[in-house]
Amino acid sequence: MQGTVLNIQRFCTSDGPGIRTTVFLKGCPLTCLWCHNPESQRRKPELLYSPTECVSCGRCTSACPRGCHQQKNGQHTFDRSVCVACGACRFPLCKAIELSGKTMSAKEVFDEVVKDAAFYRNSGGGMTLSGGEPLLQADFAIELLGLAREAGIHKAIETCGYAPRKVVASIAELVDLFLFDYKESDPERHRRFTGVDNAQILENLTLLDDMKKSIVLRCPIIPDYNDRDDHFASIAALANRLSHVTEIQIEPYHDFGKTKYAKLERAYALSDVLPADREVARRYVSAIQARTDTPVRIP
Amino acid sequence: MTDLERLEQLKNKIFDQSNEHCFVERERFLATYPTDRINDSDYYARLFADMLDSVSTPINECDVILGRVIEGEPESRENCPNRLIFAKGHLCPDYAKLLRLGYRGILEEIRANAARLGTEKAKSYEKNAEIVIHAINRYAKRYAEAAKQCGRQKEYEALSRVPFEPAYDLYSALQSIWLVHMVASCYMGSRDYAFGYMDEYLYPFYEQEKQNGTTDETIRNLLAGFLIKPNEICGRHPHNYRQKPVLSQASKQYVLLDGGRANELSVLILEAGKINLTAQPIYTVMLDENASSAFTATVFEAMTVLTDKMQVFNASQMKRFLKDKGLPRDLCEHPTVSACCTFDIERHAIREEFYLPTVAVFCKTLFENKFDTLDGFLAAFAKGITAECQQYIDETHAPDYDFARKAFLLDSLLLEGCNEACEYAPYALKLRAKNIFLPGIATLGDSLCALDTLVFRGEVPYDTFVTALKQDFAGYDDLYERACACQKFGNDTEEDRYTVQMATLLIDAVEAATHERNEIVAPSFYSLERENVWGPELPATPDGRRAGCPFSENQSASYGADQNGITALLRSLSKLPFARTAAGGLNLTFSCDQRPEILQALVKTYFEGGGKHVGISVINRDTLLDAMKHPEKYRSLTVRLYGFSEYFISLPDWQQQAVLNRTAY
Repeated sequence: MQGTVLNIQRFCTSDGPGIRTTVFLKGCPLTCLWCHNPESQRRKPELLYSPTECVSCGRCTSACPRGCHQQKNGQHTFDRSVCVACGACRFPLCKAIELSGKTMSAKEVFDEVVKDAAFYRNSGGGMTLSGGEPLLQADFAIELLGLAREAGIHKAIETCGYAPRKVVASIAELVDLFLFDYKESDPERHRRFTGVDNAQILENLTLLDDMKKSIVLRCPIIPDYNDRDDHFASIAALANRLSHVTEIQIEPYHDFGKTKYAKLERAYALSDVLPADREVARRYVSAIQARTDTPVRIP
Repeated sequence: MTDLERLEQLKNKIFDQSNEHCFVERERFLATYPTDRINDSDYYARLFADMLDSVSTPINECDVILGRVIEGEPESRENCPNRLIFAKGHLCPDYAKLLRLGYRGILEEIRANAARLGTEKAKSYEKNAEIVIHAINRYAKRYAEAAKQCGRQKEYEALSRVPFEPAYDLYSALQSIWLVHMVASCYMGSRDYAFGYMDEYLYPFYEQEKQNGTTDETIRNLLAGFLIKPNEICGRHPHNYRQKPVLSQASKQYVLLDGGRANELSVLILEAGKINLTAQPIYTVMLDENASSAFTATVFEAMTVLTDKMQVFNASQMKRFLKDKGLPRDLCEHPTVSACCTFDIERHAIREEFYLPTVAVFCKTLFENKFDTLDGFLAAFAKGITAECQQYIDETHAPDYDFARKAFLLDSLLLEGCNEACEYAPYALKLRAKNIFLPGIATLGDSLCALDTLVFRGEVPYDTFVTALKQDFAGYDDLYERACACQKFGNDTEEDRYTVQMATLLIDAVEAATHERNEIVAPSFYSLERENVWGPELPATPDGRRAGCPFSENQSASYGADQNGITALLRSLSKLPFARTAAGGLNLTFSCDQRPEILQALVKTYFEGGGKHVGISVINRDTLLDAMKHPEKYRSLTVRLYGFSEYFISLPDWQQQAVLNRTAY
């Protein structure tokens, strides 16, 4: 089974307990306005191009079999519409061109994950699937989780929860911990902010709780979007209603991914939004903690 | 004044000390001391005694342990600090013996041995020991009187007795150690005296305190008052840069804690360190695989606070190394490192070190020959390393007797074998701790990989490649890019085998040289500053390093080469033959605080896999950049360098940049 992998990141300590390797899969059914990994949204590999880093050496023009790269009057141009991200234009020291997404087999991915088995054992860590949205490549994810189970490695999955119920149910059998995104409680706002409403997401969350899966709610808080008291109250109420939410993690907005939008020739919708400072972030935590016994923290 | 207020004042005093000042009474004394009888057998002993009789005994209200040195502007920069007399330092004195016998007991031993031996040399040694020991005794008693004048009764009682008499409680033990340490470092003059396993030899005094009802908090604060003292004598600038004009400049003073036999005092010493948070001493935990889980957890919790001021060694591996080298059992159980996390033998040796010009030999071998195979190159390179090592050995002679009389006068009294033979170190020493450092291991491994990939298994002609290196890749852009693209050490890939092969070759080549029987030869991957000092003199290397640029530091991957995260780096490192080395040298830089259980898991896994040593820094890049612009706001900010901690704002520009260049996880 082949999958499209964005990155395999070793030594992650915020994607579940202990020391972990997080496997980021490419493709997501949501298009959150604040997404800091926009290159994770499309399923297929794609090129990120930085004109400011380009030195117009012309090597990509010579190498490209489809004429995506051109040199006109000493200026380099890139036509994304004909690019299939074959990677022929990439050279080791070129900082202008990055390839996002690589096709790999589950075994290839797992061979990398299993290298840190001793670290997982000594820290209570393991493997986390993330993305993008790992449930979008459900079969690939299931194969990876199966390999981890055979090796006795703890398995977590970070998901937005937007997937067919039967996909969630089949994957849930293999997962030890769900890091479940809860982005917006109001359905209409949810559609505006992410591209879909939250009904299926909430249904899947309830399913996981009924299956007694261990769940951490992950709540991005975005100034001027969902930093509202009614949303904080909903987060707390959700944790109180469910039986297996062990923690609520608040993810204050940051703009670290902003520059990637330009490299993908896409507009960034939140260019005027400033990240919340620590004091404000602490107030988010307090506002939710006041309403629930479930621990609330910023990871 | 509360204990903590005193400690805060002591700390402020350290930062208020001028790095331009010398130990002015010493300098004035030595500048005018007559040298017409310099060849008399007791000249240096008398000089030392006269000097010690002349200097002041200052006491500050906030001093917890007494003993400080008057500082002032040098009258002349020339010949300051004066080397008419000096100590050698770089050793771990037998403080346990000092506390047990006092100098009185040590002198009695020397007298008995001199009588037994009956030689002129032995009598001369005895005479000089008497002069030196009585001088220290007089000095201590003058300090006692000064304490009495200030109404410091406890200090008066202690200094009336120690260090001439055995210590009788924890305070007198710490006072005894400090007085000797200070006199050796500041008045004799030297650096890098280690305190050894304090948690072990002070433990009986700790037990006594507990029986007397002293609380752990009081003991901790007393320890903090002692542990802050090493900062008063070494200045705040690193080695070779804006040096304080004293012989103890940049002294690296290590405290060892034994994880396999840790006790309550081990924990309190770490707690005391957490109060002070000063660059000295370096808290070095010898973490044994038998260490209790409680103590291990304490160590890593302390590491999150102490960060760069602390380090951890794989004690089990070090003990096996010492056993393989044939060291006596009791010494195998006490692996010692002192200064720069380098190999030492407590009480028995003076630490020696030699930095092998590994990268220079690599380039010379490559440029001056032509090889058809990688094996051919490696054989020639190994021969060059052995020859370089042998040359060092052949050129290093035991110092002449006069040098020994001057330099080891005080040091010999607390080194095993000297008093027994009535002979100065190093003549009387049965063992030598010989560190042979092999800098640039990652650069060498990466260069081997590139050489094999592009030339021996590739299509690039040997001559073309060498020409490209000699020209710093000018006109060879494509080749440069290919060299840079070759896999680099530190990413847990199959190509790590090149660095392993290089590491093994280097150790074999060092051991192939002819060493003396009493030498414990310890090859290690350690560079100190050589990567930045030698780098500018070296041509480009096959890994894509440009001419004149630094090569890799200590045991680390080349700057920026480790792209796969810290676990990948540690897995790469654990493939190296650390079991055949002795010194530390891995510094891990984190960009944010790490939880103690994460640090513990990283280190435990690394040691299980064969790693030797870990020190950490937690560095916020923005903080460092701000510190470069506004140093006045960051006077206590420390970072980890090589085997110790330095104040960031005291570093030269190139070293600050080197810190910024490190991969941060």
